[in-house]
Amino acid sequence: MIAASFVLVALAGLGFGYRLLVGPSLTDRVVGLDGLLIVGVSAITLQAMHTGEGSFLPVAVVVTLVGFVSTAVVARYIEGRGR
Amino acid sequence: MGPFLALIGSALTLLAALGVVRFPDVLARMHALTKASTVGLVLVLLGGALTLDDTNAITSLLLAGALQILTMPVGANLMSRATYGARGIESTVDTVDELAEDLAANEPAADDSAADR
Repeated sequence: MIAASFVLVALAGLGFGYRLLVGPSLTDRVVGLDGLLIVGVSAITLQAMHTGEGSFLPVAVVVTLVGFVSTAVVARYIEGRGR
Repeated sequence: MGPFLALIGSALTLLAALGVVRFPDVLARMHALTKASTVGLVLVLLGGALTLDDTNAITSLLLAGALQILTMPVGANLMSRATYGARGIESTVDTVDELAEDLAANEPAADDSAADR
């Protein structure tokens, strides 16, 4: 069941990566990047469930925080700049 | 129970990715990402917390989930507001546009805050 979750998360990562590379506006790229961060946190959690070893999990907390800060910073940037 | 929750959460993340790829508009894509993947990630984290039995791991997972729930709506609000006001990014709001009414009502105040920055 965890292997199936890995497959689903990897497919989601492909979709978000497509939007990050293609997305016409800067907002689209930020959306793709946010999605990739979510995929990364999910993958860390699934790996911890698979191995039963939780020593990598604080990274998930840090990635969550960094994702929020980067989104806020890019939002300020877009506000002044436009495209 | 834990792996099952993780599977549902992964499926929701995949649905969010599908919406991000397929939806026609910037704001619609952001909508798909924020709603679906917040719930998806929190379900994955809860599944991990139910599966692992190390206290350290469980607190890390619950903290990450709480931070995600707290920060994802705020970040999406900042992002969509910036996109709405930015020049050159096409965004359409279909029927009800309360932000436009709000901005029109508070036009002088908005100018003041823009001058302050």
